[in-house]
Amino acid sequence: MKVSHYTVHSPRTISEALNILKDGAARPIAGGTDVMVQIKDDLVKETELLNLSYIMDLNYIRDDGDFIRVGALTTYSDLIRSRLVNEYSPVLVEAARTVGAVQIQNRGTLAGNVGNASPAGDGLPPLFATGAKVKLQSEASEREVDIGDYFLGVRKTVRQPNELITEVSVRKMKPGDYYFFKKIGLRSANAISLVSVAAVLVPAEVLTFKEARIAMGAVAPTVIRAKSAEAAILNCQLTDEKMKEVGRLASEEAHPITDIRATAEYRKQAIAGAVYEGLYEIVNGFRSPVNGSSV
Amino acid sequence: MPEVEAVKLASEEILQQGYSYINRSYQRVDALDKVTGKIKFFSDMKIEGMLFARVFRSSVAHANIVTLDTTEAERLQGVRAVLTYKDVPGLNAYGAIIPDAPVLGYGKVRFYGEPLALVAADDQETAEKALGLIKAVYEPLPAVHSMDESLKPEAPKLHDRGNIARHALILKGDVDRAFKDAHLTLERTYRTQSQKHMFLEPEAGIAYTDELGNLNILAGGQNPYRDKMQVARSLNISPEKVRVINYPAGGAFGGKDDVTVQIHLALLATKTKRPVKLVWNREESGIGGFHRHPSLITLKTAVNDDGRLLANDSHIYLDTGAYQSFGPTVLDVTIEVINGPYLIPNIRIDANLVYTNNGISSAFRGFGGPQGNFAIESMMDEMAEEMKMDPIDFRLKNLAKSGDIGPFGNSMRNMEGIHEALSRLRNSPLWQLGKELPPKPWIRRGTGVAIAIKGVGFGTIPDYPTAAVELLPQGKIKVLFSNPDYGQGVNTGNAQIVAEALDLPMNEIEVVNADTQYSPDTGSSSASRGTFTSGNALLVACNKMLDRLRMEAALYLESTRDGIEYASGRFLIKGNESKSVSIYDLAKGLRAKGETLKFEGTFEVPRYPEPVKGTLEVPHVVYMYGAMVSSIELNTLTGYLDVKNVDLMADIGNVINPLLATTQCEGGIVQGLGFATSEELVYNQDEKPMNTNYTTYIVPSIADIPKMYVEFIKTYEQYGPYGAKGMAEIPIVPVGASIANALKQASGVRYYQLPLTPGRVLSKLHDQGQG
Ligand SMILES: Cc1cc2nc3c(=O)[nH]c(=O)nc-3n(C[C@H](O)[C@H](O)[C@H](O)COP(=O)(O)OP(=O)(O)OC[C@H]3O[C@@H](n4cnc5c(N)ncnc54)[C@H](O)[C@@H]3O)c2cc1C
Repeated sequence: MKVSHYTVHSPRTISEALNILKDGAARPIAGGTDVMVQIKDDLVKETELLNLSYIMDLNYIRDDGDFIRVGALTTYSDLIRSRLVNEYSPVLVEAARTVGAVQIQNRGTLAGNVGNASPAGDGLPPLFATGAKVKLQSEASEREVDIGDYFLGVRKTVRQPNELITEVSVRKMKPGDYYFFKKIGLRSANAISLVSVAAVLVPAEVLTFKEARIAMGAVAPTVIRAKSAEAAILNCQLTDEKMKEVGRLASEEAHPITDIRATAEYRKQAIAGAVYEGLYEIVNGFRSPVNGSSV
Repeated sequence: MPEVEAVKLASEEILQQGYSYINRSYQRVDALDKVTGKIKFFSDMKIEGMLFARVFRSSVAHANIVTLDTTEAERLQGVRAVLTYKDVPGLNAYGAIIPDAPVLGYGKVRFYGEPLALVAADDQETAEKALGLIKAVYEPLPAVHSMDESLKPEAPKLHDRGNIARHALILKGDVDRAFKDAHLTLERTYRTQSQKHMFLEPEAGIAYTDELGNLNILAGGQNPYRDKMQVARSLNISPEKVRVINYPAGGAFGGKDDVTVQIHLALLATKTKRPVKLVWNREESGIGGFHRHPSLITLKTAVNDDGRLLANDSHIYLDTGAYQSFGPTVLDVTIEVINGPYLIPNIRIDANLVYTNNGISSAFRGFGGPQGNFAIESMMDEMAEEMKMDPIDFRLKNLAKSGDIGPFGNSMRNMEGIHEALSRLRNSPLWQLGKELPPKPWIRRGTGVAIAIKGVGFGTIPDYPTAAVELLPQGKIKVLFSNPDYGQGVNTGNAQIVAEALDLPMNEIEVVNADTQYSPDTGSSSASRGTFTSGNALLVACNKMLDRLRMEAALYLESTRDGIEYASGRFLIKGNESKSVSIYDLAKGLRAKGETLKFEGTFEVPRYPEPVKGTLEVPHVVYMYGAMVSSIELNTLTGYLDVKNVDLMADIGNVINPLLATTQCEGGIVQGLGFATSEELVYNQDEKPMNTNYTTYIVPSIADIPKMYVEFIKTYEQYGPYGAKGMAEIPIVPVGASIANALKQASGVRYYQLPLTPGRVLSKLHDQGQG
C-alpha cells in the first residue's frame, strides 16, 4: 500500500483531531516511523490517517510538580535535548539515545512508541521503571492510565479507537536515585532490541536500596516488571553474588520468544547479563545518581 | 607478449622520474554529479510510454510444475504482456559460465523465487495485481536445505548429473606420508554463511527498441558485453542488435556480474514494442538475487617440531544453490587461497561445488576468497598457538618467498610486499593493545591477525581487454573502456592513467561510461581486474596515439621522429624549444584530411598457458596480498562483539589513487565485518529466505564501524599499468579470520563458524564455561 491510498486529515488543534477521531475510523500518525513501515507492509487496515504533525499544542515538555508532562508530538531528540528530562528522568534520556539512529530520534515520538505497543519499544521500560501515566482524550472524555495498566498484549492496549494519546506524564526521579538502561541489539544503531531493561533504584543508605523498579522489554508480550529481582535488591549489600542472583531472578521472570533475531534461550541469558551489568556499574562507581538540584 | 613489454618499459621509465597524476588522490570524477543527484539511476528514470514489469516467482523451492495458468492475468485491463518459457525465442537459459539456469522456469522449480513468468503493464499496481492472478500448480519434491543433506546418497537429485556440479582433486607431494612424520596434526571443520550484497539499488533496468530496431538495455551490471551476449543468445538475435549500458549502478559487489533483469527486460520490450522498466523490490532482491556461496571446509594440517608447515589436506564444499552461475570459478578461488601464501610441501585439495535448493550463489567480492581464508587463517592461528609460537612469527616463518614454487607449480612473485606487511603489523600499536586490562570484568579484549592472498583477474582464462582513446581537436581526450564504474572508481583511476600517459591535465580527460555502442570490450568489472585490464589496454592505446602524432609532428616541425620530443600536449624539436606544436592542432589538421585520432589498444593479460587440472583458471600470475590485525572487545555476558580497530597493510602494487584505494579498503573491511559478525541469509522450512530487508538482515551501521587504518606497502607490479595490481577484493578476504582469531584471544574459545552473532558467541562461551 501507499500513503496516497489513504485519506489524510491534518488538523491544527486537538479538538479538531478528536472530532475526526470520533468514529474511530482514522489511524493516528505522529512521526510515522512505525506507521509508514506498516503501510508498506499492508498492515494498516484503516482507510484514513490522522496526521498529528501540525498540532502545535501537542509538542511540549512541561514541569509539573512530581511529573514531567510530555506532549504527544515530542520526539526522542526533544527529550535528549531537554534540560528538565536530563535532570529528572535521565533513564529516559539514556533509552532515547538508543532508539534507531538520529534520523529516527528526530521524527519518532514517545507517544508513538506507546501507541505502537511493541514489547521491544525502547521508550517503554523507563516509563515502567519510573511510573508514568498515559493521557487518553476523546471528544467526550479524558482519562489517565497507569503505564502498567495500559498494554494488554502485542499491539493491544486499552486505548479506544476514538481516543488519542495526548500526553505521557513521566514521574520525576528523586535526587540520589540510581538508574540504568541497557539494550541488546544486533548492531549499534537501527537495531530492534533483542532484550532491554530499565531500572530505578532508590537508596536507603550508601549503596543499599529501599525501592527498586526493574522493567524488561522484549521478553514477554508487553514490557514487564521483574518483581522478584526487584525484591531481592532491597535492603541488602549488593555483593557480586547478589547481583548475579538478581540477574538470574530477572531472567526467570522473562518469557521471551525465539524469532529470526535470537533464541528465547539467548534472550534469557542476555537479560540476566544486562541486569548484572547495570547493577555492577552502580555499585562500582561507573554511574552517578540523579542530581536534581541544578535546575 | 610485445605489448606487455612496451607497457613495462614505459612504466619503469616514468617511475624513475616520478609521476604527475599517479599516486595522487583525485576525487572521483563523478562524485559531484552523484551527490547533487544529477546522475539518474535507472530505477529513477522514466521514459515516455514506459511499461512496468514484474516477475512471477515460484513459491516453492523444489517441485515439478504441473500447470502454469496466465489467462486471467492476460485478461486484466492494463496488462500488455504475460510471458512464460514458451515466449523465449532462443536459449531458455543463462549463466556466466555454464548456462544452466532457466530464463523462465519450465518443468521443474529448483529454488524459492525462481522466475516463471513476466508481466508488463501500464502501471506498477496493475503489474502487481496481474502477478496475483497467475496460477501455478506444483507437485512438490523434497527440498535439499544444506550441503550436508545434498551430499547424502539418498538425497533428492537436483540435476540429472547429480548434486555435485563440479569436482577437482589437486595433489602435490604426499600428504598421507607427511602426516605420519608430523610433529603435530590438527583437523578442523569451518563453516561460513550465505552473505547478500545488499547494494542500495536493487537489480533494476530499462529496455527499449530504438528507431534503428536495436534493443537498448540500460541496467546496472558488471560486464556489458557478456550481458549483450546472454541477451542475444536468449532472444535469438544477433548481438549487433543489442546495446547494453551499465552505468550508473547503485552498487554491485559481484551481485550484478551475471544477468539479473537484462534478459527479462529484453523479452518484454521486444514483445510489447514499448519501453519497459523492471525494478526488483528489496524482498525480491533477497529471494531472487545472488549471494555468496556458503562453505564447509575441513582442513587437516601438519607441522614439524620446528613449526614448519608440512602438509595441508583440504576438503572444500561450496553451496552453489540451484544453479552454477559463477560457482565453478568461485570454487577455483577457494582452491587457490586454501593454502594461503605459504610454502607447504605436501598438499591435497578435494574441492566440490554442491547443488542445494538455496537460491543461486554467485560472485561476491572476494569470490570464494573469504571462505577459504577463514579456514586456513583460523588454522594457522590455532597451529601457532599449539606450537606456542607468536602468530606473526609462525606466519612469517612459513610464508613463501619470491622464486618459491607455489602449490600449483606456479612461481611465487613479489613476495617481499607481504613479508614487509606482516613484519610491520607486529609493530602496530594494536598488536600490543590486547594486553591492557579493560575496566569492566565482563569485557575481554583480544587482537587477531590474518593474512590474505587473492588473484587479480581471470587466471589462466585467456583475457584480451581492449580499450580506446580518442583525441578531440577541441581539446579533450575521450577514454573508452567497458569495465563499468559501479562506484568503485575505475573511471577516475583510468583518467589518471591516461593523464599520466599523455602528460595532460585531468580536466582534459573525459571518460565515457561503459556502453557497448562506444566502449570497446574490456570485459568485466570483477576479480579486482578493472584497473589492471583497462589501464593496461589504455596505455597501449595511448602509446599508439602518441606514435601516430609523433610522425605527424615530425612532418609539421620539419624534423624526424627521433628529432622531436613530447611533453604536456606538445611536440617540440629537441634542443630548440621555440619550435613546437600542440597535439590538438595536429588533430585539427588531420581531421581536415578526414583522419580521426581514435586508437584501440589490446592487452594480453599475462597467464600460465594451462589451468591446473579440474579448474578453469588456477593459478594467477598476479596476486594481491594483505595483512590484517583486528582488535575486539567481547561482552561475555551478552556475547556481543565490538570490533574496535582494524589495521590493513596491503600490497596492491603501485597505488594509482591513494584516496580511492583507501576508501575501497575501508568499504571492503566493513563488508567483511558484516560477513564476520552479523550478516547471514536465513531460510525457513520451505526454503524461503526470511531476512531480506535491512531490518532483519543485519548489515553493519555507521555506528558499528571500527577505527580503520590502511597502509599500502610500496611495491611495483611489472605487468601492471604504472605498477598497479588490483585491490577491491583484498581488504574483505582476511576480515573473518582476523576477528575470529581476536575473539579466541579474548575469550579462550575458538569459533569455527561465521557469522559471530551474539547468540552463537554466547552459546559456545557457556558450553565452554567461559560465560
Ligand atoms: C529505522 C527504524 C529504527 C527504529 N528503531 C527503533 C528503536 O531502536 N527502538 C524503538 O523503540 N523503536 C524503533 N523504531 C520504531 C519507531 O521509531 C518508534 O516506535 C517510535 O517511537 C514511533 O513513533 P512515531 O511518532 O514515529 O509513531 P507513528 O509511526 O506515527 O505511530 C506509531 C503507532 O502509534 C500510534 N500513535 C501515534 N501517535 C499516537 C497518538 N497521539 N495517539 C494514539 N495513537 C498514536 C499510531 O497509530 C501507530 O500505531 C524504529 C523505526 C525505524 C523505521
